[in-house]
Amino acid sequence: MDRLLAVHDIHTFIGQFHILQGVSLDVPPGSRVALLGRNGAGKTTTLKSILGLTPPRKGRVVFNGEEIQGRRSFDIAAMGIGYVPEHRAIFRDLSVEENLKLAERAKGDLDRKDDFIFELFPDLKRFLRLRGNQLSGGQQQMLAIARALVPDNRLLLIDEPTEGLAPILIEQLIEAIMQLSAQTTILLVEQNFVVASHLAEEYVIIEEGRSVKAGRMEDLVHDQETIRRYLEAA
Amino acid sequence: MSQFQRRWRRNRTLWITILAMLLLFLAAIRGMETKDWVITLLRGLSVGAITFLVASGFSLIFGLMDVLNMAHGTFFMIGAYVGWTVVVRPDTFIDLVPPVLLVGCGIVLIPLWRHLTRSVKAGAAALRFGPWLWLLAGGVMLGLALAHYPVTKWDPGVYANSPVTNSFEAGQGILALPSPVGFGPRVSPLIVIGGIILGGLAIGLGIALFNARNDPGTGGEGGRGKRPPAGALALGLGLLAGGLLVFIYNNPITEVIFGLNRTWLFVIAGFVTLFVGIALGSVMEITLIRPLYERTIYQIMLTLGLSAIGVELVRAIWGLQEFTMPRPSIFDGTGEGCPATSLADLIRYQCSTVSILGGRVRTYNEIFIPLLGIIVLITVWLLLQRTKLGMIVRAGVQDSEMVEALGINVRRVFTLVFALGVGLASFGGLIGAPSTGLTTKLGISLLLNVLIALAIGGLTSYPGAALGSLIVGLLQQFIIKYGQLGINIPFLEEPFKPTPPLVPATTVLLMVVILLIMPNGLLGRRE
Repeated sequence: MDRLLAVHDIHTFIGQFHILQGVSLDVPPGSRVALLGRNGAGKTTTLKSILGLTPPRKGRVVFNGEEIQGRRSFDIAAMGIGYVPEHRAIFRDLSVEENLKLAERAKGDLDRKDDFIFELFPDLKRFLRLRGNQLSGGQQQMLAIARALVPDNRLLLIDEPTEGLAPILIEQLIEAIMQLSAQTTILLVEQNFVVASHLAEEYVIIEEGRSVKAGRMEDLVHDQETIRRYLEAA
Repeated sequence: MSQFQRRWRRNRTLWITILAMLLLFLAAIRGMETKDWVITLLRGLSVGAITFLVASGFSLIFGLMDVLNMAHGTFFMIGAYVGWTVVVRPDTFIDLVPPVLLVGCGIVLIPLWRHLTRSVKAGAAALRFGPWLWLLAGGVMLGLALAHYPVTKWDPGVYANSPVTNSFEAGQGILALPSPVGFGPRVSPLIVIGGIILGGLAIGLGIALFNARNDPGTGGEGGRGKRPPAGALALGLGLLAGGLLVFIYNNPITEVIFGLNRTWLFVIAGFVTLFVGIALGSVMEITLIRPLYERTIYQIMLTLGLSAIGVELVRAIWGLQEFTMPRPSIFDGTGEGCPATSLADLIRYQCSTVSILGGRVRTYNEIFIPLLGIIVLITVWLLLQRTKLGMIVRAGVQDSEMVEALGINVRRVFTLVFALGVGLASFGGLIGAPSTGLTTKLGISLLLNVLIALAIGGLTSYPGAALGSLIVGLLQQFIIKYGQLGINIPFLEEPFKPTPPLVPATTVLLMVVILLIMPNGLLGRRE
């Protein structure tokens, strides 16, 4: 099998708004794919549609050889998809440890993975007892990613990991995500093109709810025409 | 920033509130005799505890699923009436146990039906009409069977006169046991019981098919469960066995129960009201609330409508009389050694009243109810803080979508919390009944108190629910007390005596003041 995730022409509505009007993309196993596009193009909605949080009304989503569109989100997630939402949606009232524990799908997941997680994010180990809202923005983002690493996920959906972080933290985060990709496949949304070009090997551009272009990141970096047309502020 | 400063900053509101309450309290008791304020304080705690039993569930349900359950007070009332029936007329209660358990058996077997019907391929027509057909068949069967099922009936009017005397006599064995009712001359018990079981099973199957139709592809809860649901099967068989046993041994069980004293009847009633609340809550969540999660206005209309239906239902079954609820017999002692002056005396003579600092305090209303309120408060708090379920609930209050994205079936947790919240309200009805009495207006007036308490404490905060209930209870009781004593206001000839209509008004006034200063209530989170 050459694709871990395949999205075929999905259409998603939020209320009456036709947000996704035909998004297709492929994610090969072990790859890092970036979803690019301007604000409001539908990148976040694409991630949410894959996970069933905003279920697509039309089209197919195939994960690991199984059609998953129309299933309940918890069911899709339990197949091995981790989600790191935008704005670091960690649970503020829960301690760091509880945040991680909540992500366990089987008892003992955290014990099995904690060495790996705390090696990646040593800060979290020190602040295990603090509540989520007592962490700094960068630590919250690390917690959000760590949470997705607790169970054995085959695919991580990461939404805007570097948004609002200081440059030094962004570097740390890029490094962590690169380390992760040795183990899982990553589909990420990233506004910052420089960061995205460092992180991803492949890209998919979304414009006004449609996937318009896909290819290898190294080609895109030199393709000023495409960058200007789809990515730079209009 | 030092540790102290940080702590102060985090809990500033709480400390200031506590300080203000203490000052208010000291000001309130300054003009009172010791025995007066002690009794008023305990009464306030009692009202606060009853309010809290309803408010805690209401606030958890609203926090987790954004549902304002306006029927929550009605479940309190239903709990009171159900508990009253168990305590005063256990024979009727025993008569009703078998059909409820047997129908329940069909309902809890729904996961099994889903498992069995998953592999069956059905045509479009069968999918369309099948569920309705099974529901109809089940309903007809159940209706016919229940019509011939004998239940002890009595005139509620008898109890409007002197329920205490009546149940006292029953407790003493003076009252003749009501003669057991039997089946009609040409009705076979076997057919009736069989009809009830089959009816329940058919309804369960119908619901399972509805689920399958609305949720294709997932095949049962979770979709990955290839094993048959053993838990549901065991529970179903247990209910079946229980129902049949109670049916067969109806008369001996009734006799035993009539021989019990009222303390044990209360314990039984406690479990029954909790169970009835949980069952009603889960049925309501699954069938009525679930389709309306996205539509807030419809939910409020629905739950308001349900509360009106609940009131009418209670009127239809129990009539318009107001009842009083006898207390458990261990809080009923009078005579030698009473009112108790020490804990040892209280336990020894089981006094109905206790003498504290010169005041005579009723044991059940003013000591037991507040204690129970504290026990429930701590139990639920431990459940929230120390268990996985509690963790999911706390996380879900903030962001239930993200909890679902972690692979947790949030909908099932919703049902559970809704059921537990309603169960707590129904249990509260039983506990409060000896103090509040039983009227059909019980639910509405309590709901008002609950809403005010939650607005004061913070709508989605669990400690807020406790604090708000406490404040509302204390304030009401102190105003009532001042209605008797009068407040001396300078430059006024007569002391000012708040009239009874002012009592709810003061709580509303306090709510307005607090909301003006803190729009999210005392412990509420800014959204």
